[in-house]
Amino acid sequence: MPEEKNKEQDECFECKKKQKKDARWRQDFPVEWESDNYVTRREMVKFLALGSLTIAGANAVLAGIPHIVKASEMPRTRVALASSIPVGGSKLFSYPTKEDPCILVRQGNGDLVAYSQVCTHLSCAVIHDEKENALFCPCHHGYFSVDEGRPYAGPPTRPLPRIKLEQQGNEIFAVGVEV
Amino acid sequence: MDNRQAQGTTLFTALLVLIGIGVVVQLWLLAASVDALMRHQQTIPLYAALGSAAVFAINGLLVLYVINFDRKIKQ
Repeated sequence: MPEEKNKEQDECFECKKKQKKDARWRQDFPVEWESDNYVTRREMVKFLALGSLTIAGANAVLAGIPHIVKASEMPRTRVALASSIPVGGSKLFSYPTKEDPCILVRQGNGDLVAYSQVCTHLSCAVIHDEKENALFCPCHHGYFSVDEGRPYAGPPTRPLPRIKLEQQGNEIFAVGVEV
Repeated sequence: MDNRQAQGTTLFTALLVLIGIGVVVQLWLLAASVDALMRHQQTIPLYAALGSAAVFAINGLLVLYVINFDRKIKQ
């Protein structure tokens, strides 16, 4: 008796399975979810080739960025009077916009140099340390040389952007940024 | 599976792997470009772009080869 019952149940199960397979909605939507998401190797190759093209394009754009930025003209801004900065002295100014703080320093040999005041480590403001003859970042004790703006102590690894200067008579102008 | 089809499968898989390696190299070049730009270096992104274009050319040739090979097998 239990065997017959099992057989009936199996037949019923098969019948239901067949009914499900022949259901009306299956004719309208014949594609299985799994096979819809199945990616063939051919599709994968096409995807990789398109990805390769996209990355090559992105690389070309990145290579062009410095040239585009360089092409845009920098303003000419009056910074200070040359006579107002003594040897070893410094002056703060903003260039090229008001949101870009910079520092002008007169070196021991009388030459004037200017750098961005934003530390290349974590963007704190660097200050002039006359005793060390360096630009000093008080946040993490980073030191930059006044001659070239290169870091020589502390966590910073990149040099400070240098501000190009021009002197006309007694007046000093900032004319560009050298990175 | 006959010999020709088996050979095609092996070749297809090998080319797929080669193209995949090319894409990984390109991603590495892209990362190096971004890093160089952040360091304000201008020459590295240029060389990386040239390298990336060369890798793309190789990838493109491989894909064309696969498509032609596939077409021949189907014929």
